[in-house]
Amino acid sequence: MSNGTAESPFSPSAEKSEISSNNPSAFLSQITGAKVAVKLNSGVEYRGDLQCVDGYMNIALEQTEEYVDGVLKNQYGDVFIRGNNGMLVFCFRFVRKFGRYRRIMILNFLG
Amino acid sequence: MADTGADQLDDTIVSEPLDLVRLSLNERVFVKLKGDREIRGRLHAYDSHCNLVLSDVEETVYIMDDEDEDLKTIQKQSEMLFVRGDAVVLISPPTQS
Amino acid sequence: MLFFSFFKTLIDEQVIVELKNDMSVRGTLKSVDQFLNIKLDDVSVVDEVKYPHLSAVKNVFIRGSVVRYVHLPGAVVDTALLEDATRKEAASQASKMGGR
Repeated sequence: MSNGTAESPFSPSAEKSEISSNNPSAFLSQITGAKVAVKLNSGVEYRGDLQCVDGYMNIALEQTEEYVDGVLKNQYGDVFIRGNNGMLVFCFRFVRKFGRYRRIMILNFLG
Repeated sequence: MADTGADQLDDTIVSEPLDLVRLSLNERVFVKLKGDREIRGRLHAYDSHCNLVLSDVEETVYIMDDEDEDLKTIQKQSEMLFVRGDAVVLISPPTQS
Repeated sequence: MLFFSFFKTLIDEQVIVELKNDMSVRGTLKSVDQFLNIKLDDVSVVDEVKYPHLSAVKNVFIRGSVVRYVHLPGAVVDTALLEDATRKEAASQASKMGGR
């Protein structure tokens, strides 16, 4: 049992050095500046640099690309995304671990 | 105390997402809404719910015709428009896009 | 409270309320509350043919949450004043958040 949780990639200890908080919005504010993809429940995806996040999980992105069904549809300099559209945030960040780069993808799911 | 708060707000630094919207006041913005609707207009007011007031508004409604797979668009104009925030998906200042 | 105050300045003006079910109602704005519920007098439905069931109705109460747009007369809106009020509201929201 306990062994299983320790092995889990989502266990708090697994990325402790990288992500010290397990609170979604605190985590999001920790990764500001990172390249992220925000996927809305409608299926539309926004990729850009995360500028900031607030308590409603409104999101500001820079250099944003809008993808519909994987096809680039639009580009925006800045974009404000309203928080209560159910969304999934992927963080594309490369961290050095065990001597090699490993891509971490963090999922954060809201309503 | 209140004064320093106001001074900080004059900065063009985006420290929270709604700052992006505040910096777009009296600018033409692009707003994407639920239900395949888009709006372009000059922003005059917003609040934390994303309720908006815009002028010289051009609304585009996209209607997918299932039978012939045609994407129809309807354009509508309005001189002054209040938009209820719950339909808002995103807001972007279009000048730098 | 910004939009509540804003709508109060528009009382007795002609507006068109577009609902989320695509119906539009034209009328005189008679009252508004903090939820942006709206009362209209002298109403007429914009597309009579499509929505004939309201042609006998003289006034309506519209729940704020079903509103998509309110089309306003441009001339009666002081946009500079509105922008100032918006900035003030934003500042007061920010100081509230800081106080927490």
